[in-house]
Amino acid sequence: MKAVCWMGKSKIETQTVDDPQLLNPHDAIIKVTRTAICGSDLHLFDGFIPTMEQGDIMGHEFMGIVEEVGRDVDNLRRGDRVVVPFTIACGSCLFCKKKLWAACDNTNPNAHLMETAYGYSGSGLFGYSHMMGGYAGGQAQYVRVPFANVGPLKIESDLPDEKVLFLSDIFPTGYMAAENAQIQEGDTVAVWGAGPVGQFAIASAFMLGAARVISIDRIPERLALARSIGAITVNYSEEDVSVLTALKDLTGGIGPDACIDAVGLEAHMGDLAGLYDTIKTAVMLETDRSGVLRQAIQAVRKGGTLSIPGVYGGLLDKVPFGAAFGKGITMKMGQTNMHTYLRPLLETIEKGQIDPSYIISHRITLDEAPEMYKVWRDKQDKVTKIVIDPWKERAA
Amino acid sequence: MAIALTERPKTDVLPEQSGASSLLEGHYAPPPADKDGKTWVRTSVIVQAEPKRLYEMWRDVEASSSWHERIVEVRATGSNTYHWLMRDEPGDKTLEWEFEILADEPGKRISWRSLSGDPESAGEVIFEPAPGGRGTMVTVLEQFKIGKLDRAWEAITGRDPKQSVIENLRHFKALAETGEIPRTEPQPHGERGLAGSLKRSTYGEKIATPLGTSPSQQQSTTAEGGSR
Repeated sequence: MKAVCWMGKSKIETQTVDDPQLLNPHDAIIKVTRTAICGSDLHLFDGFIPTMEQGDIMGHEFMGIVEEVGRDVDNLRRGDRVVVPFTIACGSCLFCKKKLWAACDNTNPNAHLMETAYGYSGSGLFGYSHMMGGYAGGQAQYVRVPFANVGPLKIESDLPDEKVLFLSDIFPTGYMAAENAQIQEGDTVAVWGAGPVGQFAIASAFMLGAARVISIDRIPERLALARSIGAITVNYSEEDVSVLTALKDLTGGIGPDACIDAVGLEAHMGDLAGLYDTIKTAVMLETDRSGVLRQAIQAVRKGGTLSIPGVYGGLLDKVPFGAAFGKGITMKMGQTNMHTYLRPLLETIEKGQIDPSYIISHRITLDEAPEMYKVWRDKQDKVTKIVIDPWKERAA
Repeated sequence: MAIALTERPKTDVLPEQSGASSLLEGHYAPPPADKDGKTWVRTSVIVQAEPKRLYEMWRDVEASSSWHERIVEVRATGSNTYHWLMRDEPGDKTLEWEFEILADEPGKRISWRSLSGDPESAGEVIFEPAPGGRGTMVTVLEQFKIGKLDRAWEAITGRDPKQSVIENLRHFKALAETGEIPRTEPQPHGERGLAGSLKRSTYGEKIATPLGTSPSQQQSTTAEGGSR
């Protein structure tokens, strides 16, 4: 089969590889009908996440048709259409029972790597480094899905793939970000990053009762998308714009009730601290560029909430913890507990409350993926979301 | 056959008082420090299953190869003695030892020590209800005599004995809770090159995950491979 492989920092190739096979009794093999490139794939592309190996198959947003199931999978059959959540959960451990699916105790075969780095291991993820399990990803024609009895969401309606594909990660991730923001009716919410997760965080914040949502980014087409779903936008790259001042101006001086950092560890900041992070990460004295986190801590109102769906990987510098303590803020973060949100969010799509496909700008083939990683990283060609059809041949 | 029974045990029993427990009369007891040529490991997990079932799973010593890395066979040699065989992947390095079960309290505790062969070790596992009814806390304490064993063990398993105990307990928990042990091998990948292969060794990914089934059960789980 064909698959998109990580071949080193800034090096992605589409290669012909072996087909996956069933290994465990709860496995399924899925024939992938649609997959996507996630913003967090760029952290791998740019070499920010350790423990990638040359040859790893990328991709954690995918859906498809069940091709084959292991002997203990009794909820799925060949031919079923499913969306697969990017976190792998066993459904039986203490954490799964508490619905902390992303903290599943049993699905990371390389748990010892994560224990060394983080103290404890979270769940395994598809296509997202060996510390996170080392599972082959879904930017491929077929993929092996462990614990298929727990994860995959069956799609029984005739909704097209593009409307349900983002249930695999970014829609639930944006939704949990809004939920983590502890939004009360009438709140003002600021969202850093108007990429796909930022978009769904904005839409979800409105669903949860926010009166005003402020979207912060520098890419005009992303800000336009944010305005199209009702947000007010701030372009921090425009002359004389200070995000902190803008947020005070737009909230009568008190700051947003909740801030959502949908950017994470590769923040672009034009200021001195941004330069500081660029230099420190380049000489490996710091692993993450934490500009948005600092700004959001500074911006949130007294007693407000900071929700962090953006990925951080390691050690951060100059985080204004005094400001966090001084204002008594709450911080909530982490990988998405996917399995909780799949069914309720599918219902919002079925009822027509949201059509997640509005963010798609590019539809490509597997062979086009390597060049599109660069376009996606550099935000060229008005890109907002790239979806891959693994069975389509590149146009001649 | 039962060579072990006539030999003098090579290892001491574990400390009488606390055994594997992290608590001694309400106070935290740290694991014993490595000294006098012995290395110790204590590790614990919370398992969503009854102590009785976990005890029975552990006490089925002959099925140990289903969740112990690189153990290819465990055979009973007497009512309380077993012969263990550990072998590396190509099959040219082996370790063999005889061990006996010392304490055997159904649903609560099992302790053992080796009688002959390598490694020279002793261990104990206890099954306790976790606080708040959140499952069963399984704690293992194991001691190994440091010597030429370490290198042989590492050559075969790819891990030091301490990490092996930790990984095997992790496999035991996964198997008890889900009926399988998570694995990724073999799986498709692009060209690994030298860098990719080196990392695989460093991360311990060349170590085969136990199958989660004993040899008699294995035929039924074999998946068909090949191209689609």
